[in-house]
Amino acid sequence: MSAAAVGTHAVADTDRAVLIRIRGLRKSFGTQEVLCGIDLDICAGEHVVIVGPSGSGKSTLLRSINLLEKPTAGSLRVNGVEYGPGLPGEPPQRRGSPLALRRTVGMVFQQFNLFPHLTALGNVALSLRSVRNMKASEARVKAAESLRSVGLLQRAAYYPAELSGGQQQRVAIARALALDPSVMLFDEPTSALDPELVGEVLRTMRQVAESGMTMVVVTHEMGFARDVGDLNVFMEDGAIVETGARGFFDNPTSARAKEFIRAVRR
Amino acid sequence: MKIFDYDWSLIWDYRGVLLGGLWVAVQVSVVALVISAVIGLLLAVLRLSRPPISWIATAYINVFRGVPALVSVVWVYFGLAFLLGINFSVFQAGVIALSLLYSAFLAEIFRSALGAVPPGHREAGQALGLRGSRIFFSVILPQAVKVALPNIGSMYIGMLKDTSTFTIIGLLEVVRVTQNLVSTTFQPFVFYTAAALIYVLAAFVIDMIFRFIESAYTRPPHGRLLAAVRRRQRRKISELVEEMGG
Repeated sequence: MSAAAVGTHAVADTDRAVLIRIRGLRKSFGTQEVLCGIDLDICAGEHVVIVGPSGSGKSTLLRSINLLEKPTAGSLRVNGVEYGPGLPGEPPQRRGSPLALRRTVGMVFQQFNLFPHLTALGNVALSLRSVRNMKASEARVKAAESLRSVGLLQRAAYYPAELSGGQQQRVAIARALALDPSVMLFDEPTSALDPELVGEVLRTMRQVAESGMTMVVVTHEMGFARDVGDLNVFMEDGAIVETGARGFFDNPTSARAKEFIRAVRR
Repeated sequence: MKIFDYDWSLIWDYRGVLLGGLWVAVQVSVVALVISAVIGLLLAVLRLSRPPISWIATAYINVFRGVPALVSVVWVYFGLAFLLGINFSVFQAGVIALSLLYSAFLAEIFRSALGAVPPGHREAGQALGLRGSRIFFSVILPQAVKVALPNIGSMYIGMLKDTSTFTIIGLLEVVRVTQNLVSTTFQPFVFYTAAALIYVLAAFVIDMIFRFIESAYTRPPHGRLLAAVRRRQRRKISELVEEMGG
């Protein structure tokens, strides 16, 4: 099977464990089908980049991985636990709870979504206290460590309104990282930023990638995708059109992917 | 009767009685505000739930927003007391009557305030694996309260004024003590002017208090008093930062 097989992506047997296994995943809003049967395997430590035109379902796919969108049909397995409704004819015997899933999957949003009434430190510490049941003092130290990892320890006492967009997004990354997730999802993390602030967020994301974190990134940043993406996915109309390993963006196979990449590279 | 025939010094002579009336009005309305806020928040959450649960809240809100305070207190003091076989004190009847009405108004204020919190914040809470109750109390509610505060302030001014209708059940609030003073001094213009001034001044003070609370809820906090709180918080965090070696 070639790396750029059209329609599906199945990982050949490697020594890396499959962390997320998606099979026949479908999602409809009313009568409109947004995801029309997605198959995708994501290995531990892999950096997956999803690109495609708007409305192609890439954000919905990403949000399905932590069940912010509930799949209509299909299988979603994370760490061997089934969270989806299952494939037709074989409903899962046991399904994991969304709460348990989300506690192992970190997510970064386009609009940062920091809690405006809490300081940067408070934003990171909140989930440590209530998810990890840490004591306040313990949570503050861990939160500060997480802020240091994104280079914002000095801004710990600032409120989101006092931070630039890039800094807010880095705090959001620190907030998700603090819970030691096994995978990080990024939903167009730089799309809401002023161009001059994109660089610092991408640098932070590269650091996260270098630390060996499994990442799934929906982005239009082709430079980042080319450098970091181990597995690149091109989506259109709710389906995966083409996938490819490193170098995919220089040499896509399908006509639609070629056209799209030419347009965004401009 | 000319203007200098009015004995304005009577207001000063009876200041204790008049302010005593205000104190009763404040007590009744503050207790009712606390009860209304709790019930109103509950109603708002119910109204935002799925039908048929939301219908219960909608029905309650639409009924009690339409009842005047005067009717409400008579209904509670004479009707409800008879129905339940309990003798409410005038204070209790006043609190219940106000709470019935204003929980409906506050429910609508809370509903729009809860709706004003960006849905992304709920999603961020969910993505972090927070429980629904934790998201509500630690993420949504603090933001909604800030949005609701100015409206709650205006509502509270209304509540304080509505205690004037409780004169009918004999609650010794501002209007009742005014009436009592008029019947002994025969100076209605003087004492009703005093009563009006008391309400207006009370409204000013309430407005100031709510403005202060609002600025306390602003992040970063505004105002001189809160700047001190802010400095303390900053110092605590910078101590932690230094401890960690910057």
